[in-house]
Amino acid sequence: MNKVLIANRGEIAVRILRACRELGIETVAVYSEADRQALHVRYADEAYLLGPAPSRQSYLRSDKIIEITKKSGAQAIHPGYGFLAERADFALACADAGLIFIGPKASAIAAMGDKMKARNTVIAAGVPVVPGTEGEGALADEDLLTIAPKIGFPLLIKATAGGGGKGMREVQNIEEMPTLLHSARREAESSFGDGNVYLEKLVEGARHIEIQILADQQGNTIFLNERECSIQRRHQKLIEEAPSPFVDDDLRQRMGCVAVKAAQAVGYVNAGTIEFLVDKDKHFYFLEMNTRLQVEHPITELITGVDIVKEQIRIARGRQLSYKQEDIKINGAAIECRINAEDPFNNFMPSTGVITHSMLPAGPGVRVDTGVYPGFEISPYYDPLISKLVVWGETRAQAILRMRRALEEYRIVGVRTNIPFHQTMMDSHRFMGGQYDTRFVEERFSMHDIEEGKTIHPEIAALMATLVAHQSIERSAQVVRRGERDTSNWKWVGRWERIHR
Amino acid sequence: MKYITTIDGREFAIEITDGQVQVDGHRLEVDFESVSGQPVYSLIVDGKSYEAYVYPDEDGWQVLMEGRLYPARVEDEREKRLRAAGGSAVSESAEYHLKAPMPGLVVQIPVEVGQQIEKGQVLVILESMKMQNELKSPKAGRVQRIRVKPGASVEQRQTLLSVV
Repeated sequence: MNKVLIANRGEIAVRILRACRELGIETVAVYSEADRQALHVRYADEAYLLGPAPSRQSYLRSDKIIEITKKSGAQAIHPGYGFLAERADFALACADAGLIFIGPKASAIAAMGDKMKARNTVIAAGVPVVPGTEGEGALADEDLLTIAPKIGFPLLIKATAGGGGKGMREVQNIEEMPTLLHSARREAESSFGDGNVYLEKLVEGARHIEIQILADQQGNTIFLNERECSIQRRHQKLIEEAPSPFVDDDLRQRMGCVAVKAAQAVGYVNAGTIEFLVDKDKHFYFLEMNTRLQVEHPITELITGVDIVKEQIRIARGRQLSYKQEDIKINGAAIECRINAEDPFNNFMPSTGVITHSMLPAGPGVRVDTGVYPGFEISPYYDPLISKLVVWGETRAQAILRMRRALEEYRIVGVRTNIPFHQTMMDSHRFMGGQYDTRFVEERFSMHDIEEGKTIHPEIAALMATLVAHQSIERSAQVVRRGERDTSNWKWVGRWERIHR
Repeated sequence: MKYITTIDGREFAIEITDGQVQVDGHRLEVDFESVSGQPVYSLIVDGKSYEAYVYPDEDGWQVLMEGRLYPARVEDEREKRLRAAGGSAVSESAEYHLKAPMPGLVVQIPVEVGQQIEKGQVLVILESMKMQNELKSPKAGRVQRIRVKPGASVEQRQTLLSVV
């Protein structure tokens, strides 16, 4: 294998390109009309146009991607995450075309991709699962309404073909259930072309903790410890950390062994992630398996020293894993903040536009994975992830302090971002204490609370706003007085006296 | 020029004249510049250095500093008096034009022209960045003039429909 096609875009395409570069493998990018100037296109050795901006006409065109792979002479395809990454038919089509799919076998994707099949498979392997109707087939609304009280409220409606929180609804009582069933089916239908849903008991006070695994073709399967992903909003992860402040060594070993068992149950090969719900008494339940590289894989890389993408390529080449289970240690702590084009002061409304200015944080222990740069447009066609800011610290406390420092350094102009959300979270006592669950952001977190001991500067803000307003008035006056130069360079010298509150 | 700047209900009297700045009657040494022509500003006051984003918005200015958003209203004395005389602007009786908060695809319009709706009722479902966003009515009223159809791509701030 000396040439790889990357069937993705954005930060993950760049991440995979970097791994290939370091391994001396040639790279082929594919892109949509909206991504002509994207970083992955600029970095790759070769680049081919797929089609118009909408994913269905570009990044989901599996036929065209396979055709380009053959034309370019690449022997393998890395699917990244999203798009074609968890499509068994695509993995199969690659195999039929004589290409290596850098991921699991189509049969493993199919077994884990169908949630009912996945559930039944892991139950058979002795893995604990959350009570619900999953695996009972496509039930009609009347049946679901009959079964719901037996599972008990609150419960979740989930899309059978779903993922990433789409088509998911939380139900508090039987009265509101018909409406929510309707909207869940509608969203599932439009997102996945499949309106089927199932019910699942809502585990209260639950934490979302996942185990990264690696498996080679020789039958070795190891786990790279856990990632804590409970900081979520509308079931979308926002912050992940490793190790989890909630998991002790005993729980880690037990979860790791179960994860390995679940992966082996489907003959899993390559990198994958088993997601668990963990309740406050440290009982854990299998949620699902992501049969691909995960967005938050860098935090595991930082604490274990394993380059997961390079291992993926190594496995796909048919070699043995570079590590044995006993080689996997935890060194320090890592945190990832997903920087999204969303306005946290306006109900996380997506924000689009051209990034006019950007200054990335740097310095010790800071890693930024991004696919954008100044001049690039954040379009409404793809997900709102601008970058992943990842930090490492010797301890969790040091990682938090470092993340605060890095967030304050980060400047992005042109679109609104959720950086202020992350800053508020890093200041929150609950986060610092590791006391949070998957409901924390939605139920007990506010952008407007001021933590004790935090200084705010309304007088400086007032001064800034007034100076900018004054400047804009002066500027508009200047337009009238043509030809006159602005002599003011915004420097005032006066006597300093402290501003009184 | 004299300004009254309000943040969180607190008023600051700020005077800017011929290179001098006074805040609540105290003269300050101020060095203020925009960073590489962007709406990011650097302010040095008595050796203390601050940096913030300052954006205009509908009611004034937004200052984003150290992860905190300070909505600010900057008025000269004449504007402040005018506003005090005019009273509050947002009225329940005024016509409401629903504008797309972002570019996207209209998935569904669950209301019809002439339909009586309640405050908070979903008017349009707009898909953007793979998320379905429910756009709700801020007032009760009657739906008038639906300007888009399901399946249509819309631009940011494009008017979708009106509620009277």
